[in-house]
Amino acid sequence: MKKFIAFMLTMVMVLSLSACGSSGSDSGSDGDTASGSGASSESDQEYVKDKGTLVIGITDFEPMDYKDDNGEWIGFDADMAKAFGESLGVEVEFVEIDWDNKIMELDGKTIDCVWNGMTLTDEVTSSMECSDPYCNNGQVVIVPSDVADKYQDTDSLSDLTFAVEAGSAGEKEVSALELNCTAVKTQADALMEVAAGTSDAAVIDSLMAAAMVGEGTGYDKLTYTCQLNSEEYGVGFRKGSDLAKALNDFFKKSLEDGSMMECAEKYGVQAAIIE
Amino acid sequence: MNQILEQMPIVVSSLNIGFIQTLKLFFVTLIGAFPLGLVIAFGSMSHFRPLSCFSRLLVWIIRGTPLMIQLLIIYYFPGLVLNNPIWGGGEAGRFLAASVSFILNYACYFSEIYRGGIQGVPAGQEEAGLVLGMTKSQIFFKVTLLQMIKRIVPPMSNEIITLVKDTSLARIIALQEIIWAGQAFMKGSNGISGAVWPLFFTAVYYLIFNGILTVLLGRLEKKLDYFR
Repeated sequence: MKKFIAFMLTMVMVLSLSACGSSGSDSGSDGDTASGSGASSESDQEYVKDKGTLVIGITDFEPMDYKDDNGEWIGFDADMAKAFGESLGVEVEFVEIDWDNKIMELDGKTIDCVWNGMTLTDEVTSSMECSDPYCNNGQVVIVPSDVADKYQDTDSLSDLTFAVEAGSAGEKEVSALELNCTAVKTQADALMEVAAGTSDAAVIDSLMAAAMVGEGTGYDKLTYTCQLNSEEYGVGFRKGSDLAKALNDFFKKSLEDGSMMECAEKYGVQAAIIE
Repeated sequence: MNQILEQMPIVVSSLNIGFIQTLKLFFVTLIGAFPLGLVIAFGSMSHFRPLSCFSRLLVWIIRGTPLMIQLLIIYYFPGLVLNNPIWGGGEAGRFLAASVSFILNYACYFSEIYRGGIQGVPAGQEEAGLVLGMTKSQIFFKVTLLQMIKRIVPPMSNEIITLVKDTSLARIIALQEIIWAGQAFMKGSNGISGAVWPLFFTAVYYLIFNGILTVLLGRLEKKLDYFR
């Protein structure tokens, strides 16, 4: 009896394992055809078209990607992404991701591109196939408004402790200037550090700073002072993907017919667009 | 303070949506892990060597690695290594992957609790059953199992309450549970940006829910008191 039960249990476990295996290969059969014809290297556009959806990895980031009152994703990047999907003839699906895992999400094919005001850093350009830059940005220093006068240039920053997003362009600038800094998880966390007084200052994107600090925002006691660098936003695809080129053509076309500027004006980012 | 009161309705409705995800993951994990844990416990106690080795190996791996890494492996490995993203990128896929990770993880912890409970029933109980002419399965279901359930309620309560809080780990694969919803307000969500308090406010949800669970599990323990 005991032997019999043991045997049954073994069978159950073996079966459940093999069931995992077979269901995996079944559901992936459509993905296999795409990967079979050359992984992501030459047919990424075909893969996306076959699938019928372009999955866009985003974070909630005003004014680039954010939700309106009905829960629809809007913003400069979101609207452009919808238009790009239309030009490809596919549905666009927005998925919120953990920003730290963006490369894993792309390579694991759980998303098809990262389109969320992404600064083109070395990390990004070496691990993704990036579009041409479409938007200017810079890293700015955030300090409490009442001491802002003292910190208007980079020389005055040496005695401050900084909070920066781990792996961000801001972190790079701060370490290049050899300032004291703490790496936190997101730019919003960096702002919270300053608001809570646990750090003296933060370094975040200028587009984000314009939207999030100062009068009439949640952080009305903070302000931004000097800009540390200038940089550019781009869209990231899987390494070797032909979608990057398709997007460059799409950007060129929408710049020419004025639809890109129209969209930018809607979200107040027209000054930053690269023509 | 006034600002917080103004933001309250928006924040609460957004946190509620996140908390529903948390609860869904919690109940799905329990429903899956209770039976699977028993299967693994039988496996570990089996006299059939390959089976008991397999079960113990599984328990060792699952208990020996962080749940956060297990979530990452289960969600990203199929796409990264096998080039076959079985879960997909959407919300449903992320939930499914998170459920599988949590069920596997908690089943292994439960299995050890079950094993302790079964082996803790005095041998005299089984012998008494044999004397009365009961079959092995009768002894298990009518004698051992009932006494085991009574014994495992306190350690199980511990794990269940831990599970409520562990669900927050699922945000590593971008499952939008309550902590994710609370954190979204720091950056900007539903027209509120730079609000820190919703993140801390999520603790109230956990506290209330765990309070309810504690009362319910306490009652269950009392009900099972007649064994002693």
